[in-house]
Amino acid sequence: MTLAQPVILAEMPSLSKLYVNAAAQAARRRLLGTHDSAVLPAESHEVRGVRVGVENLTAYQHLIGETASDVLPAGFIHAIAFPLAMSVLNRDDFPLPLLGMIHLRNSVQQRSPLVFTDVLDMTARVENLRGHRSGTQVDVVAEVRPGGSGEVYWRGVSTYLSKGVFLPGIDKPTAVPPRADFQPPDPTALWHLGVDTGRAYAAVSGDFNPIHLSVLSAKALGMRRSIAHGMYLASRALADVGPARGDSFTWDVEFEAPVFLPSRVALEIATEHSGSGSWKHSRFVAWSPRSGRRHFSGTVAAL
Amino acid sequence: MSTDGQSTPAAEGSPRASVPATRRAVIVGANRIPFARSGGAYAKSSNQDMLTAALDGLIARFGLQDERIGQVAAGAVLKHSRDFNLTREAVLGSALSAETPVYDLQQACATGLETVVGLANKIKLGQIDSAIAGGVDSASDAPVVVSEGLREVVLDLHRAKTLPQRLQILARLRPKDLAPLAPGTAEPRTGLSMGEHQALTTAQWKIPREAQDELALNSHRNLAAAYESGFFDDLMTPYRGLTRDGNLRADTSLEKLASLKPVFGRNLGADATMTAGNSTPLTDGASTVLLASDEWADARDLPKLATVVDAEAAAVDFVHGKDGLLMAPVFAVPRLLARQNLTLADFDYFEIHEAFAATVLSTLAAWEDEDFGRTRMGLDGAFGSIDRSRLNVNGSSLAAGHPFAATGGRIVGTLAKMLHAKAASTGRPARGLVSVCAAGGQGVVAILESL
Amino acid sequence: MADTYAQLVNSGPGRNLARKLGLPQPAVLRRYEPGQPLVAGPVVVLGDTAGADKLAAELLSWGLDVRRHAVPAEKLGAIILVLDELGHPADLEMPVLAAAGSLRDLRAGGRVITLSRPAGEASTPEAAAARQGVDGFLRSLAKELRAGATGNGVLLADGTTSTSPSALGAVRFFLSARSAFVDGQFLMVSTEDGALPEDVERPLAGKVAVVTGAARGIGAQIARTLHRDGATLVLVDIPGAGDQLAAVANEVHGTALQLDITGADAGRRIIDHAVQRHGRLDIVVHNAGVTRDKLLANMDQARWNQVININIAAQLRINQALLASEHFRSSPRIVSVASTSGIAGNRGQTNYAASKGGVMGMVRASAPLLTSNGGTINAVAPGFIETDMTARIPFGVREVARRLNSLQQGGLPSDVAEAIAFLASDAAGGINGEVLRVCGQNLVGA
Repeated sequence: MTLAQPVILAEMPSLSKLYVNAAAQAARRRLLGTHDSAVLPAESHEVRGVRVGVENLTAYQHLIGETASDVLPAGFIHAIAFPLAMSVLNRDDFPLPLLGMIHLRNSVQQRSPLVFTDVLDMTARVENLRGHRSGTQVDVVAEVRPGGSGEVYWRGVSTYLSKGVFLPGIDKPTAVPPRADFQPPDPTALWHLGVDTGRAYAAVSGDFNPIHLSVLSAKALGMRRSIAHGMYLASRALADVGPARGDSFTWDVEFEAPVFLPSRVALEIATEHSGSGSWKHSRFVAWSPRSGRRHFSGTVAAL
Repeated sequence: MSTDGQSTPAAEGSPRASVPATRRAVIVGANRIPFARSGGAYAKSSNQDMLTAALDGLIARFGLQDERIGQVAAGAVLKHSRDFNLTREAVLGSALSAETPVYDLQQACATGLETVVGLANKIKLGQIDSAIAGGVDSASDAPVVVSEGLREVVLDLHRAKTLPQRLQILARLRPKDLAPLAPGTAEPRTGLSMGEHQALTTAQWKIPREAQDELALNSHRNLAAAYESGFFDDLMTPYRGLTRDGNLRADTSLEKLASLKPVFGRNLGADATMTAGNSTPLTDGASTVLLASDEWADARDLPKLATVVDAEAAAVDFVHGKDGLLMAPVFAVPRLLARQNLTLADFDYFEIHEAFAATVLSTLAAWEDEDFGRTRMGLDGAFGSIDRSRLNVNGSSLAAGHPFAATGGRIVGTLAKMLHAKAASTGRPARGLVSVCAAGGQGVVAILESL
Repeated sequence: MADTYAQLVNSGPGRNLARKLGLPQPAVLRRYEPGQPLVAGPVVVLGDTAGADKLAAELLSWGLDVRRHAVPAEKLGAIILVLDELGHPADLEMPVLAAAGSLRDLRAGGRVITLSRPAGEASTPEAAAARQGVDGFLRSLAKELRAGATGNGVLLADGTTSTSPSALGAVRFFLSARSAFVDGQFLMVSTEDGALPEDVERPLAGKVAVVTGAARGIGAQIARTLHRDGATLVLVDIPGAGDQLAAVANEVHGTALQLDITGADAGRRIIDHAVQRHGRLDIVVHNAGVTRDKLLANMDQARWNQVININIAAQLRINQALLASEHFRSSPRIVSVASTSGIAGNRGQTNYAASKGGVMGMVRASAPLLTSNGGTINAVAPGFIETDMTARIPFGVREVARRLNSLQQGGLPSDVAEAIAFLASDAAGGINGEVLRVCGQNLVGA
């Protein structure tokens, strides 16, 4: 009898190796057929003593449009915890194929600021396997604590969709929620995203997923052009909300149409203040000024 | 009397009476980040990052979160073109109210002091009630300028309509056009660097090497002692892991300084005396100063350290060597003191920016020179000498470093605190003089008085 | 979530396994959030004295669902035993057995609270026996409670009643999720002083509080908690931690004061800053502290002196300045952070334990000096709290240490902060010279 201990990794896993392994796994599954299990691995993965490179932090802050303060941006923490999260999805007993998963939603609680001198402990696990009208979705939960502390300073829940994968015992939701018609409001900002946006974010986040890097590598995975990282877009929106958000806040984003590169993205940020004049929350929505399609929307709110 | 220089108006009968009555501008406090050696702890930080860090520390010290300040003014000497609104961007990234207006200012190394003077004047005139003055510079993250050839090609390419036109324009490019031009500190009209200019002045005033090294040693010793006594505890907020100025060498000695080879004025042969030890190094850093009217400070229960009494700017004709490049304060100070009816003996502290040790010593030498006083300043004799024990008593740029536009704020914050403490311990008002020289043959000087 | 182990044994298969193997199953504790109900269900008030009646009426006026007798099979939020007129150990029988019948109906995170009299003030041996009996009873019961439920006691000194302001304040604190990691403890109410807050969500509104060591860990959490409760904050830490201090200050809209608390004029500078910037000074939280662990045989002068200077000598010196100051005379509050190491001792921590024992001695002896101004001084003694400092403890020792209490887990910085916020409030005005342990009823050095 073995107890489901958390898997403590000696060091942060390498994303590139994970992607290679994922590709091999996908090929293997195509050959052997999937062992259709509808159970998520119970173990969490944990890495302790993660240090932040200040050069990498500064480059990230500059790319996203954050001031290079000593406080780690919430999106940067997502990026450093991302390989750990991916390592859970990369397990052989994880029932969905990692490659081609679509990031549907992301929800972060930044409870207290973390600074670059903090040594970080982080855990990641998967939960909440459930149906979706076009596949199966799952939540990846990552938590980050300052070295040895029990207190979670940062918690992120990323919801991914495995399109076209239906597992036994997991029902599709019967009612498809009606999508409200989107009428683009007056934009408060216009982003000009160059064709190298994906590569630039890959360089600071370490997420070299081929769909973001170039037209060719994206086409190999069935995309017509490369697309911007969802977390790049969400992090820029968070930066655009500005310092009013303080150091503890929630940050939620829902992704819709992907942003193909290069392109222009229109954005509206609407801020609401409480009766006493302090900042309550800012909602953001982004769309294509050409087609009017909504790319993503979300909220940053006081915690 | 006619002088071949810049005469000083007589103290008596000055036109002060016609100046309208104004209120005081007080210095509440200051904050800076430790200065880092170029390529050190702040190598990847931009001017905007450092200025924001200095602002956020000031905000934290004085509880200014969400405060709408009357105006913020700051600047940088080495500035990227994308930073045209540097100060505004820093304020938007800080904990201040986003409704705080700002302006950017550039006056070479006098930028920081000039923001203090300009904002203090606005407060005195009643235009604003509160202000933050500041400055920042990064020698690490300096803008790289492309060659004129490349610049023209890029601009022409942008205007071109057809592919053949574009190809034709591109064909004009030569390999040498692709080499970037480092930002120079050379004077555009002379081609001489600031150090080379000062070397000429140093030779002219016959400032010996030993005197320069001694001044540098004192700067390090004084700054180190100030740190030890906790003097900077409420003037500084660490950034990027740095808690003290990176250039400070508490253990330096005259022997070590004497062992350094001269770097400027070597073409002057035996007279080359200026070394890396008695010249300021390239540095990164930012500083801020909180200014206010009495009412504004009182309403918020903020401390009042000193007032900004008066200031004067001067410039010298250095291009063909009439005066040394960094000698403008030599003329600014006598004019300012005459207007205020003061002499050098009336000051408790002197803060003379140490661009080079020789700059300070040349300035003092000129003031002490009978002939110079008569022929160039229109005085009866020498302007005067200062009590050297009152000079840069908590260290200055040789030890702390000199991120160009940040130096003014460093000096004003330091001096205001010293004056306040002096007055508190002696029970009588204390007065201090600030002098900052700048490129282009400029200089700004100011008087602060304790509260 | 407290730790991975706690997560593991609380999730599906892990829970079953842990049960079978007889491993500790730490509960996820209910912690305070503004706006949440005070208790998770109805409150039974047991006891037939006038004190019991008055307390029940008071709790009813708070909007609680109060019962004088348990309704069979009804899930309860709390059981309160009012034992304020015990004359003989036999008097315990009725209320205790009534409580026994309701224990199985206590919800997860429920509360048991006794109100009794201190044994030392009893007039007869019988009464003293009964009063002291409550102590043993409550501490044992706390160890029997499961699923994050806690048991704590309020001691009512002569001249106080079950509805004295601080008795009500203590009952409210013990009932609430603010006391999540306080278990098996008694808190003495010695006077009628104190007042219940006008707004229970902002009990520190209008107060100016100083927190030392506020740049990190427990200190930063104390700052956040006091800010949440309405206080204006002055945050003190060493200059080298100034950037983190500025981040905390800008987060809680306070002012940062970079200062070495071991400096001779630290007290004066703190008072000057608070008074000059914020017009007053009401609360000082001595949190700054360091560990420099070594077996005594290997102890050097630097390690010993640094710990003594920072952890206790600095507090003594600052308190002298506070007590001498005319600005610290309006119901002032001092709360010091002690440690269970100072009570039970800890191998390798002779210096730390001496300093923290010193804090407790200081608190008891200083208490009478503050009473004339309606002031109080108390200490909070954290047990195993998950912080940077405890992170340095070797892994195995840490795993054992965090399970060695009735709640079978380490506490959080917020648990310490909540206890401090309570002791700093007006509601705790009748509590003076006490040491409140925030340790989950640590098995060591009970």
